[in-house]
Amino acid sequence: MSAYRTGDPLDRRRFLTTAALHGATVVGATALGAVDADAAFAAPIRPLDPAVAESAFAEGRITAINDDVLAVAGSYGDHSRVRVTGATSVWKARATTAADIETGDGLYARGVPLPDGTLAADAVWVNIVNLHATIRGIEKTRLHLAHGQHEIVGNLMAETTSAAYGTASPTADLSRLTIGQSAQVLGAWRPSDGSVDLVRVAVAPGAGRRR
Amino acid sequence: MACGSTKLWNGEATWFCCGSAWGPCASAGGGACGTCRSSALQAAWPNASKACWDITRPDLCGEDIPRRGCGSVMKVRHDCSGASVCVTVSDCGPRTRSFCSESTCCDGVCRTNRVIDLTPAAFSAIGSLSSGTLPVSIFE
Amino acid sequence: MSALVRDLASLVLAGVLGPAGAGKLFGRGTARQAPRTALARLLRDGGRAALALRVLGAVELLLAAGLLAPPATPLPGAAAALLGAGFLGYLGYARAAAPGSSCGCTARQDAPLTWRAFVRAAAVLAGGAAAALAQQPWWTAAGRRPAAALCLVLAAAAALTALAADPDRRWRMPLRRLRLRITGHPLAATGAGTAVPVAATVELLERSRAWQSVSRVVRSALLDHWDDGGWRILQFAGVYGGGQAARPVLVLFAVDAGASLDTVREPAVRVSVLDADSGAPVMATA
Repeated sequence: MSAYRTGDPLDRRRFLTTAALHGATVVGATALGAVDADAAFAAPIRPLDPAVAESAFAEGRITAINDDVLAVAGSYGDHSRVRVTGATSVWKARATTAADIETGDGLYARGVPLPDGTLAADAVWVNIVNLHATIRGIEKTRLHLAHGQHEIVGNLMAETTSAAYGTASPTADLSRLTIGQSAQVLGAWRPSDGSVDLVRVAVAPGAGRRR
Repeated sequence: MACGSTKLWNGEATWFCCGSAWGPCASAGGGACGTCRSSALQAAWPNASKACWDITRPDLCGEDIPRRGCGSVMKVRHDCSGASVCVTVSDCGPRTRSFCSESTCCDGVCRTNRVIDLTPAAFSAIGSLSSGTLPVSIFE
Repeated sequence: MSALVRDLASLVLAGVLGPAGAGKLFGRGTARQAPRTALARLLRDGGRAALALRVLGAVELLLAAGLLAPPATPLPGAAAALLGAGFLGYLGYARAAAPGSSCGCTARQDAPLTWRAFVRAAAVLAGGAAAALAQQPWWTAAGRRPAAALCLVLAAAAALTALAADPDRRWRMPLRRLRLRITGHPLAATGAGTAVPVAATVELLERSRAWQSVSRVVRSALLDHWDDGGWRILQFAGVYGGGQAARPVLVLFAVDAGASLDTVREPAVRVSVLDADSGAPVMATA
């Protein structure tokens, strides 16, 4: 397992790729599509491991970063400490690492409470926002969005921003966005200027027509 | 979780923020029930009241969603993984009519129309916030 | 000049009330918007609110006609001032009843209660008072000093446009639409891309049978991903087994990098679970 332990991330990825391709192949079963949806989903749910404590949640702004522990000031004056390890997924406009987390960022974290009072995070989402907005302007590098009574600038990111049109899956093709469309906007808020780095802009099926 | 086993509805779940919050969510407020918090296991229901219904109008998408007011408790189950979470209705939403016939499928079985909005705490308990929408079954 | 302002107030006020009244009375949007106004809360019913708005529209239209047409009496001006005062009172109530938007999903983009609304109501009140105090009918005043009257009306129109609700929707959006039509869609080039975004692959995975079968092991969200030889590898962290035997694992999925739910309904997903410490496989089949 030397390649697994090596410090070179490329070697590690190569090792993991090989391991992944040796995995069992699971193919979606078409049989489900032919039966009643409710009956198909009514199968008993496998219980979660009872030994694992129920997951906990933390929310707020990051006030300090001490090694792998984030000090978080909650929106209601509460404080929490979130531990980020190698097994913690970090989302900040994309899957990334703890190195990208900065003081002042907003955060949602899910994890397991530890006896020392910290939250061992399974997943943290940094600056993530999911807004219902209306597209009010389209430019080469950004969208102008109206969210309620607020105007928000949405930054387009090459190779990251995707659009989902109706029931189709996300695509890099943003050319079908139009001014006036209602959109669900998933992105990463930038604390420095209040704009949002756009990750996914989902518009309704048949959007573009007036409601 | 013993918060409901009678099937109430199914459809798509999305997430939203409410209460005191950071970023663009800071202006969200306590929601239609005045108690909504992003960090609590709560949800927005499209028929939390008559006034709420007038905004969300799920009937325009063919969803005759029953009235469940502030404080109603529901179990929301992710259809793909079976993971579930208990939530309390604390706001009005989602705006179902804006996304009529949008669907989210799981292994070929699809859930259509946005019928419930979960707080980040509730949504992240059964799925990833970066996924945006989940196919769910709702029990009470 | 102030006398001219006073004498022309009827004309300007009619220009404000007329279109606003017609919009409320005949507009198709009234029924749609009424339930979202504070009026609906006050009357406890969206339908009643729509009816009230239409009645208000009719009153505004009548007042506009009274202000414009002879005989010149102080009555329409006084009534308009009363209406302005009523607007101010209602806005004060609405502000108290709904200080902000209730949430991200129900944000009232159609009826923002901004300072503009208050200034508009105050302008109607002031205009009404001025019109009631007018010394001569507006047509006489305008006939005497046509150039000054024209300037005044234009200035009033400019001020009213600036005060119009939602200037963005009124003129900025149509302008941007026009520009797009002339210069073409600024993002047209993105239509040529064929690469499947990671978001589409994650969606494909999270809706697959493979995900269902191992989701109980997975604890993290997406940790890392990369493309290799036509495959897209997605890495998650998880816990395998319970109690003392529980150990941290990596959960790896390999999916065709070019596949999305648009192209394949039943994706073939390769799943493997590795011990996080040693890298050794811990689960042969899902």
